[in-house]
This record gives sequence, C-alpha cells and structure tokens, in this order.
Amino acid sequence: MNDMPRRITLAEWDQRYAELRAGGLSEPDYGGPLRRHVDEGDVRLLKLRMDNSAAALRLWNFLLTEEDRLRCAEARGKKIVGTMKDLGTVPVMAYSFSNLVAFYPDGAWWLPCLLEGGNELLAIADSLGIDDSYCPVRAMLGAFVSKKRFPIPGLLTCSVGATCDDFSAIAQRVEALGFSVFWWEIPHRRLPEPGEPAVELPGGFQAPAEQVAFVKSELERVLQALETYAAERLSQERLSDGIARANQVRAALATLRQVAYTADPCPLPALEMLVAEMLAIHFCSDHNETLAVLAELLDEVCRRVRTHTGVLEADAVRVFWVNPVADLRIMNLLEDVGGRVCGSDYLFCHALDLIPTDLPPLEALARMALADPMVGSAADRAARIAADVRRFGAEAVVISRIPGASHCAMEGAVIAEVLRAQTRVPVVEIEVPPVTDAMMPTLRTRLEALVETVREARSRSSLGEESK
Amino acid sequence: MKTIAYSSPFVPPEWIAAHGLRPQWLRLSAATGRPPALGRGICPYAGTLIDAALAGIDASALVLSTACDQMRYAAALLASRGSCPVFLLNVPSTWQTAAVRNLYRGEVERLGRFLATLGGIAPESAELARVMLTYDQARHTLCEAGLPARQFAEALAELHSTAFDVAPCRPTPLNWRVPRLACPTVLSALLDKPAVAPGELDMSPRRWPTAAERAAGIPVAILGGPLLEADYDFFDLVERSGGRVVLDATEGGPRTMPRPFDPERVAANPVQELADAYFDGIPDAFRRPNSGLYEWLGRELPDRHVRGIIFRRYAWCDLWHAELHRLKRWTRLPVLEIDASPDDTAATNRTEGRIEAFMEMLA
Repeated sequence: MNDMPRRITLAEWDQRYAELRAGGLSEPDYGGPLRRHVDEGDVRLLKLRMDNSAAALRLWNFLLTEEDRLRCAEARGKKIVGTMKDLGTVPVMAYSFSNLVAFYPDGAWWLPCLLEGGNELLAIADSLGIDDSYCPVRAMLGAFVSKKRFPIPGLLTCSVGATCDDFSAIAQRVEALGFSVFWWEIPHRRLPEPGEPAVELPGGFQAPAEQVAFVKSELERVLQALETYAAERLSQERLSDGIARANQVRAALATLRQVAYTADPCPLPALEMLVAEMLAIHFCSDHNETLAVLAELLDEVCRRVRTHTGVLEADAVRVFWVNPVADLRIMNLLEDVGGRVCGSDYLFCHALDLIPTDLPPLEALARMALADPMVGSAADRAARIAADVRRFGAEAVVISRIPGASHCAMEGAVIAEVLRAQTRVPVVEIEVPPVTDAMMPTLRTRLEALVETVREARSRSSLGEESK
Repeated sequence: MKTIAYSSPFVPPEWIAAHGLRPQWLRLSAATGRPPALGRGICPYAGTLIDAALAGIDASALVLSTACDQMRYAAALLASRGSCPVFLLNVPSTWQTAAVRNLYRGEVERLGRFLATLGGIAPESAELARVMLTYDQARHTLCEAGLPARQFAEALAELHSTAFDVAPCRPTPLNWRVPRLACPTVLSALLDKPAVAPGELDMSPRRWPTAAERAAGIPVAILGGPLLEADYDFFDLVERSGGRVVLDATEGGPRTMPRPFDPERVAANPVQELADAYFDGIPDAFRRPNSGLYEWLGRELPDRHVRGIIFRRYAWCDLWHAELHRLKRWTRLPVLEIDASPDDTAATNRTEGRIEAFMEMLA
C-alpha cells in the first residue's frame, strides 16, 4: 500500500478504502467508505479531491454523519439545542450540561454545495420568498421546514445585533414559521473612548468594559434558558470545566494550524484544514470525538513533516484565505494552480482563540463572543488578518465573497485596502457561489494570475539577491 | 453652527439640537450619469450614501446606526477612506430587556460626548427638556395637520433637519439648501413661522391635490425602508394613478417617529425619556423579534381604511425583502412589490405601469 500523501478523487478513495481496510484500519462507529455519502446525496464529493490518509477519512466521515449523530443523541434522550449565528459561544455553554447536545443550524449553508444545488431545500426557501439574493444559508430555512436534515431543536438560540442582515432576516422567518427563537444581543464592538475602562479580548482586540458586561448579562439570560430546557442547574465549576474542554479543542487546532500552515511541503490540503477548523464551532455535535479526530490528524501531519512529505510541491505559493467558501471545490482549485493555504480567517477565528481561564466563566465567554471578527468593524478584522498574514508568512491574500451575504458587499474593500497598506502582499477578491462549475475557468484564471504574480515577485527578489 | 448629518430614525435630532448643533436628516439623491462606487450586493441606498459621503457632504460629521448591517459596514468603509468623522450609533436589535434599553440610552449619551468633541455643549436638563418638548409639539402639529403623505414626509424631514432655539416653537431652519426640499414652506407654515431667508427657497409652483381629489383616491399604504429624494415622486405617481397614500410606513413617514414624550418623565429625566421614546416608539423590520412592526400595521391599516399595500424594497436589502412573503400571508390586503432600482428609467416606467395596474385592480 502506497502511503505517500496525495489528494485523491472519490473513485480513488474507493480503492484506497479497500486497501486501508485490508491493512487493518480500525474505524469508529460512524466510519465507512466515503462513497456512501454520495449515495445519500452528497454528490459534490465526486468533484473534490481529498487527502488520502486514514485521518482524513475519519474527518470526512465525522463531518458527514453529524445529522445521524444528532438523531441518535435525541433517541438516547439528549436534548438538542440549535445555536444560530454565535459561532462558538453558546455551544461551549450547552456542552457543559450533561444532557444537551448543541449544533449549528447555519451549517446548512454548505448543503447547496454538497448536494450540488440542494434543490428541495432551496425550493422551499424560494417558495417562502427567500431567493438567491440571499446567502446560501437560506438552505437552513428549507431544512427547518422540511424537517429532513437535522432534528428540530427543542431550544433555538440566535445572536443578533452585529450580525449579517441576511441571516438575521432568515432567522426571523424561521421564528415566524412557528419555531420559537431565543434572541440574544451581541452589540457592535466599538473602540473604547479615551479614558474609558477597557479590556483586551482573546485575539487582541480591545473592547469597552461596559460592552463586556452587557454581553455577560446577555449570556446569563442564555444560561437561564439552557438551564430551564435542560432542567438542570449549571454550576460555575461545571461551566469552567466546559470551557476547559473547549480549550482542549482550540489548543489542538492551534497546534494543527501552526504545524500544517508553516511546514513545507504542505502536509495537509486546504480542504481538510477548513473542515478541521470548523470543528471548533460546535464540535460537530460530539466533543470527545472532535478531540480524537484532531489528534489523529495532527499525528498524520506530524508524521508527514518528519518524513518531509506533503500533498503539494514545496514551492507552492503561500496564500492567506479570508472567509469560508460556499463551494468546497475552490480549495482544491487554489492548490491545482500552485497555491496553498498558509493561514485563514474563516469568520470564526474567535472560536480558535483560547478562552480565558483566569476569569469568571461567563465573563470569559463574553470576552470571547465580543472577539468575533464579524462583530467589530471591518478595519479591526483587517488588522487581525494583516497580523496573521505576517505571522504565517503569506505571500498573497484571497478574499472569498459569499454571494448575498450582507457583510461581503463592503468588507472586502476595507480589508483589501488595509492589507495593501500594511502588508504589501497582493490581494484578490473573488465571489464563490455554492456550485462554481460554470465559473471555474474564470476563477482559475484569477487564482492563476495571483500565483503567477507571487512567483514573478519571487523571481525578481532572487535575481536582486544574486546581483548583490 | 455646525451641521451633523444623520441617516437613521433612531438618531434623535433634538439631542443634536440641544447640543447647539444643527441636525440634518440626510435625504439622498442618487448620483446620475456615473457608475456606483461599489459593486454587486450593495443596497442602492447604502451605496448612494457612500457615494455622497465620499463626494463630501456639507456637514461636520455623519451619524449612522447599526440598524442595518450594510450601514454598519458603510461606517467602516467611510472611516477607512477618510471621509468626515463618522459616528456609529449602536441600536440593539432586541428590545425585551432592560439591558438593551440601557445600552441604547448609553449610546445616546455616547453620541452626546461625540458631539461635544465637535464643539457641541452638553445641555442642562431643563434646556434639553425644552428642546424635546418643542420638537414633540412640532411633530404633534404635523400629525394633526392632515397633510398628504408627500407633504408630511417632506415636512417631517424638514423638522428633523431643524435647529430650534430655546424658545418653544421658534424654528430656525438654517439648512434649506441641503437637503433641498421640494416644498420647504410646509413646516414653517404649519408652525406659523415664516423663517426662511429670502432667496433660499425653491419657489417653483407645485400643485398639491385638493381635498376632494384626495378623498376620491383609493387609500393605500406604502411600506419599506428609507427613500431617496427622487423616490418621493412615487407618492405623486400613486395619486396620478387614482390612489392616495394614507399610510407612509417607509422610513420617512410617521412609522419612524418617536412616541410622544411624557412631560412628567421629561421633567424627571429627559435623557431617559428621550431614549425610551425612540427605542420603544419605532417599529421596524430589523428588530428581533419584529412583531412590533406587525402590531403597528395591525392598528394603522384598519384605522386608515387602507385597501392595498405597496411594498417597496431595495435590491440587496435583506431585512425588508424577507418580510414581503410574510406580509402577504399576514394581511388580507393586496400587496404590490416594487423592487427599487434608482436611476433606472426602465425600472421607473415599469413601476409606473405596475402601480397603475394595482390601482385598477383595487378600484
């Protein structure tokens, strides 16, 4: 069996899976060949190239079985919480309870990609007046109405305020259709005024102390709702334990990102890194398994680094990627044209930062929630991206727009201006719809041009060095 | 006197005026003959605001609010491009708790501190109370006047762009030129104060419909977000088509006025009353939940005998767009959707045809 790291197609994965099984592969209960997900409708997998490791197999299977896992949890008597829009705050609280399982209904935004259109879900959204001028997250509305994708949660929370209008509007429609929503407010993070008491947030942003206190009071309301739903009181100690467990995931991801994004050749494809990072948001409905999946991925990455092997050529152009892509295939495309992802801001970098453990737990969570890059100004977010561009040694930045997302209409311009001023790396902004097949030549050209620009700069730089 | 431009009904003009500054409710005109500064996905209203601000507005600062996410990002964009100072007022989407009410009040106070940096002077309570009651009285007068919808909207814009001196009901309208109102005499006529400087008025004759003509029109409501200056022709278009707008539920009409001030509460704590009247008094699509908007419509539509609703929204305005389908299910009244695309002759002609057909259907 050839264990050289490669990106392989689903057809190749059929063979690879058989080889791994024959070689004694041991899988968790959700394991199995990736082909079965295609048979269940995730046909986009046919167009992707995925990492050929057993660790990646486990990652994909973990991701693509979440709905089954939620239904099993419900059948076992667990109570399901849908945590809309907060990207990593309420799930930490929910998983501190013994009988709650949290998930992220907004995750349905990838269904139009995985299902290559997701016709039924989008047709439902269309029929309710939520058309394709909205972000693909509109598939969530179809999922609620059809009740076919995820179990309908008994408690549905949604953060609003400094959030996308498109999501807020869709969540309002969800409520108007009869799904009760517990709204909580996340205010726009502003800069402290001169002399105003301020605190530093995870990730380095500053916020006025009064905003942190406000968010803490909102999270107290959320906690009460969770306690009522769970019929269980949550002590500070147990919430602190929940934070510590969330930090285990975040620490594992921090290590994985540091190793995978800095090693050369690139030890793990961008696609798998994107999926791995997503696990931080709500642990894909199983915290312990998330840790196990990440541990196996990290082992594989470290093995490859030790053996100087990787999935891409050693001189791949180092690209920092901003925003998640509606079509996963684009992460393949970047690598196909000679690039690699060496750093990312997929809209939830606050869910990757360690939650402070030297503070009362709700205070710590409030600080984390306010550190959400979407909550502050686009200039703040751009400054953090610029710092990460330098930290990871990126040579270019791709800003990936999400069609229909209210924040994407303008933030790209602000981020690009700040990056050009602060980092001098080339920046390209592209729009990625859920299925890019028809646009692939255009997107390929844009990314090729970016890669060639960097290679040209490298050549000039090395010529300059030689002439010295 | 410095001018503070603003573009949200949650910015209290009396608060700006009480600081000795001139409030200016931005009524934007879409730029013609040039492409928009920004691209796909941007609401035409937000794009127009950005264009106007980058071109230079005649104001010392611009106040926007977080009630619209695109406006939130517009504030960041304008700040990064070095336009005039921009203040972003944080207006909570939720409204159920004391904490969010306090947050809004805190934001109003923060706005006051911002105004002080521009030369504004924080008002004493008694002075603030006087200014508040002056505006309140003027709004009351306006509401009682029975104006046609367009005149009402223009007079309200004028009122909210007026700096009153401390003597009650003595308007000092210093900004007749920006925005250039079609009929700037309405407010001063109502308040019985001929306070316009000679030569500064647009005196072009304008024929308002007679009371009989208005009574004959089919009563309709118009619902949606803010309007651009040219959009006020829309009211005339409705009238020419045999209708009359008896309920202007856009951002320029009575829907976005604060509730009347309680004089006792004004006397006791004017800032609190100011914040409460605005925060509690304005139903809007962005609030979560936005049941208040439907409660308000549930009262106003039958009170005004509305027979049809014209739902006007901008492309890429997610908040209002999402309400259309719900509105159609909620009301028994016919609903006509108008998807606004400024500076588009074809769209204007199409809109005209659709309104005419709608009126014929209602007749």
